[in-house]
Amino acid sequence: MRYNILIGGEAGQGPNILTQIIGDALIKSGNYAFYSRDYQSLIRGGHNFNVLTFSDEPVYSNDSKVDILVCLDSKTEELHKKELKTGGILMKDSKENMYYAGRIFKLLCLDFKILEESLKKLDKNFNENIVNAKKGYEEETKNLCKIPISKKNTYFINGNTGICNGALNSDINIYYAYPMTPATPILSELATVDGVKVIELENEIAVINAGLGSSALGKNVMVGTSGGGFDLMTEALSMAGVAEIPIVVYLSQRPGPGTGVATYTSQGDLNMALNFGHGQFPRTVAAPGDPKEAQEITNEAFYLSQKFKIPSIVLGDKHLAESYYTLDEESSIIKIENTTPFIRYNSYEKDSFGSATEDAQIIKANVEKRLKKYKEIKKELEKLPRFSVYGEPNSKNLIVSWGSTKGAIIDAIKDLDVEFLHIKYLEPFSDGIKENLLKKNLILVENSPTGQLAGIISKNTGLFIEDKNKILRYDGRPFFADELKKEIEKRLI
Amino acid sequence: MPANLNSPTKAKQEVSHLSLLNTNTKPTWCPGCWNFQILAGVKNFLTKKIKNEEDKKNYAMVTGIGCHAKIFDYINLNGINSLHGRTLPTALGMKVAKPKLNVIAFSGDGDAYAEGMEHLIHAARYNSDIKYLVHNNQVFALTVGQPTPVTEEGFKDKTNPKGVKVPPINPIKLMLSAGATFVARVYADAKQIEDVLEEAFKHKGFAFIEIIQPCIIFHPDANYKKYTYMLKEKKHNDKSFEAAMKRAQEFDYNTLHRKTKIPLGIFYREKREVFEENIK
Repeated sequence: MRYNILIGGEAGQGPNILTQIIGDALIKSGNYAFYSRDYQSLIRGGHNFNVLTFSDEPVYSNDSKVDILVCLDSKTEELHKKELKTGGILMKDSKENMYYAGRIFKLLCLDFKILEESLKKLDKNFNENIVNAKKGYEEETKNLCKIPISKKNTYFINGNTGICNGALNSDINIYYAYPMTPATPILSELATVDGVKVIELENEIAVINAGLGSSALGKNVMVGTSGGGFDLMTEALSMAGVAEIPIVVYLSQRPGPGTGVATYTSQGDLNMALNFGHGQFPRTVAAPGDPKEAQEITNEAFYLSQKFKIPSIVLGDKHLAESYYTLDEESSIIKIENTTPFIRYNSYEKDSFGSATEDAQIIKANVEKRLKKYKEIKKELEKLPRFSVYGEPNSKNLIVSWGSTKGAIIDAIKDLDVEFLHIKYLEPFSDGIKENLLKKNLILVENSPTGQLAGIISKNTGLFIEDKNKILRYDGRPFFADELKKEIEKRLI
Repeated sequence: MPANLNSPTKAKQEVSHLSLLNTNTKPTWCPGCWNFQILAGVKNFLTKKIKNEEDKKNYAMVTGIGCHAKIFDYINLNGINSLHGRTLPTALGMKVAKPKLNVIAFSGDGDAYAEGMEHLIHAARYNSDIKYLVHNNQVFALTVGQPTPVTEEGFKDKTNPKGVKVPPINPIKLMLSAGATFVARVYADAKQIEDVLEEAFKHKGFAFIEIIQPCIIFHPDANYKKYTYMLKEKKHNDKSFEAAMKRAQEFDYNTLHRKTKIPLGIFYREKREVFEENIK
């Protein structure tokens, strides 16, 4: 059983809260749910929609066709009617989001008490909402009561919350940022936590330099941004490399180049994350595939940046950041020990006193110290999960991907003869990956126009992925499981 | 102090604490550079405050990139020799991390008014408790003499053979407008620097101190000293914004004529909440 509900309307009509309430109730009654958000860069009006997918088995993505279409406005019907499956349910004729909550609760045999509790928690407009919800609940006549009712300890979170949890698990002291979609929600989320200083400065250049100033004094610091803001940070990140000041950077991708498409998704910044900054210096780059990995990888970024005094990049994207996933496992936590001394830091090559130097021998020794770190980091990483393997281990076919494509791939390959290798650490690249790729029909799935991971695999393993085996999406939208399945099937041997 | 003369132990301590701030790095400023005066003034001030290694932990410095930044290697203090233009956000980050740390930040006029201008305006607005010294020699000296935003019109160099066509900014006016709570200008004179730092550290908040520091190679002294006068000798009211603005306009960094006056000293000071104490 796998259902998709599309809920659309104008910004301000509350499609998000409606989706959230239904998703929460589904999870509370023992199901798995996933929803993604598609919204425009505007505050009121326009067209926004969410797709909520749920099942009695784990779900990590949406499909291109939906079973239920909820129209808070007429535009939703106009734009999405073609996505409604034959025999699917069309809900329209009201502009009140909670009216539809009532109908869907009835339709899916969800407990109305859960809805009432959710509306109470919302606080705002309770009286109006409950009337609308009751009206909807009474008016709905159909039912799809195939939903099992059981209790599991699950929670429903998005990637950004995963990043925040990872930072909190690492005892973050200060978060600096300049607002930029899709990283902005980290600001508001951490701002509610006691003991964490959340500071917005005049631009990303100030953000990263202030971050390094605080980090040099022994604080656990993270900064967050998207591609454009990251571009502005790279000079200072290069300084962090030479000065050996730890810093964690959350880089949440959206489509570029330029301002690109502000509220949509992309994986186009992988090469940038691996190659930022002038000069050569070690860094780690890791990309979570779901909110649980976001928690763990953010925590590991604090650990690695502190241990090796390097920039550690957590590479996410809009799809991961703002989609909600059902998690049923707690993440593991590494205790962070801040070992950064209060000394003389320098953006120049420095002598043992921390002063600028032009001495050839010292320069050479400094460069070699940094080179040695590459090896030490690689060795340390052997203790951490650098990649995961799913699917059929004996298959001749192997899909490779990184980051947020993980969910759609796992959902798509359920009945296929294919193995799936998901790479978490892009830098350093694990030596263990190559043996998994040998003698396989390699297929790449990536939310980018060129499939950047293919180049990275070639560089590190000498193996090539043929262009015809690259499944790429670059329209700002995430992969849908049903469509992806068809694309994968075409490439299986 | 006669007591010291009679106590050899105390005298010995005195000598050793003077050397607390010394480094082994031989200065590479040009012989006769006014930066030596700034270095002396800063060290004289710090020597009064820092008597032992423990005291030293309460002080930190931040520098940008350029001739001024070499001072980082000539004072034995912890801190960050940061990037060009990024002195102020770096210092801000240090104050946010440790609000009680005394942070002295140094910039050149390229750092402060060109590459880092956005940070300067916001630093004045934030009012973080940073003591900020701008070594203004009206030229990019370490890159051999190009004009900065405070170089006078008509200034010629290899990159501007026809002379600079745009007027300079007036940093004192700029800082007053941006809301700086302590605005001062001194000449590159050890005693003036020591004295202004004493006042700046009495002030809780952002202290903007501009130092007129002629570059003996690329922007020789236009005989500014002849035109200077001390504000405190003219009964200037440094609590009055209007009076400060009026005095700030007496010198436009551009033209020198018979009637030019270059006021030195503290233009303005006011109390305002400090950034790092105002965050949750």
